[in-house]
Amino acid sequence: MWIGIVLGVLLIAAFVGLSVMAGGPKDAFYMVRYAFPHMHRGNLKPGDGAPDAKLFALNGTDTFHIRERNNGKPLVLVFGSFT
Amino acid sequence: MQIFDDYKDHADFLTVYVREAHPTDEWQMKSNVKDDVCYAQPRNLSDRLAIANDFTKRFKYPVPFGVDDMNNAANDAYAAWPERLYIIDENGKIAYRGGNGPFKYYPSEVRAWLAARYGEVKHPETKPAETKPEEKKS
Repeated sequence: MWIGIVLGVLLIAAFVGLSVMAGGPKDAFYMVRYAFPHMHRGNLKPGDGAPDAKLFALNGTDTFHIRERNNGKPLVLVFGSFT
Repeated sequence: MQIFDDYKDHADFLTVYVREAHPTDEWQMKSNVKDDVCYAQPRNLSDRLAIANDFTKRFKYPVPFGVDDMNNAANDAYAAWPERLYIIDENGKIAYRGGNGPFKYYPSEVRAWLAARYGEVKHPETKPAETKPEEKKS
């Protein structure tokens, strides 16, 4: 019983902390529901070979690979979205 | 994007457009509504391309652009969601790996890396516009 109570208190504390970080209880819930499944630290580290991937140009027809843009100069990759 | 303007002669830049961070049908933020950035999570490539095009047009975005396929291959390979910065060196190796945004997303670190290699680019401080006192009409 005590373990259950302690776990419950810890869960509530975690949710309160998350609410403060996210900006409210609703945001905390959405963070857990929608953000956590997609947020990964990843395994890449400096010195690793950069992975390649196919991308689409804005016209939706032309494609290219990330590696094609790495031509004798450093390549800065900026990942993101509008929202 | 000031870093792009400052270092585009020395480094290549590529924006990789990935899965939406705060779509209307998932975790929409109040700031999205305020800024009129309201889009549902794309269900197909056309939707994703449409949003990416809206973005580049709205901001007249000058940085070279690529859109991740709907299998999210680039996003997964670089663990990029929701936003992240990397630098790949001339030999195709990871030279800089930024943290996951928003809390660990630091463009200043990219600037520092580029500055260490190519020199710092300084910008003159802009003075606030002088306001003239209103002339009194007699």
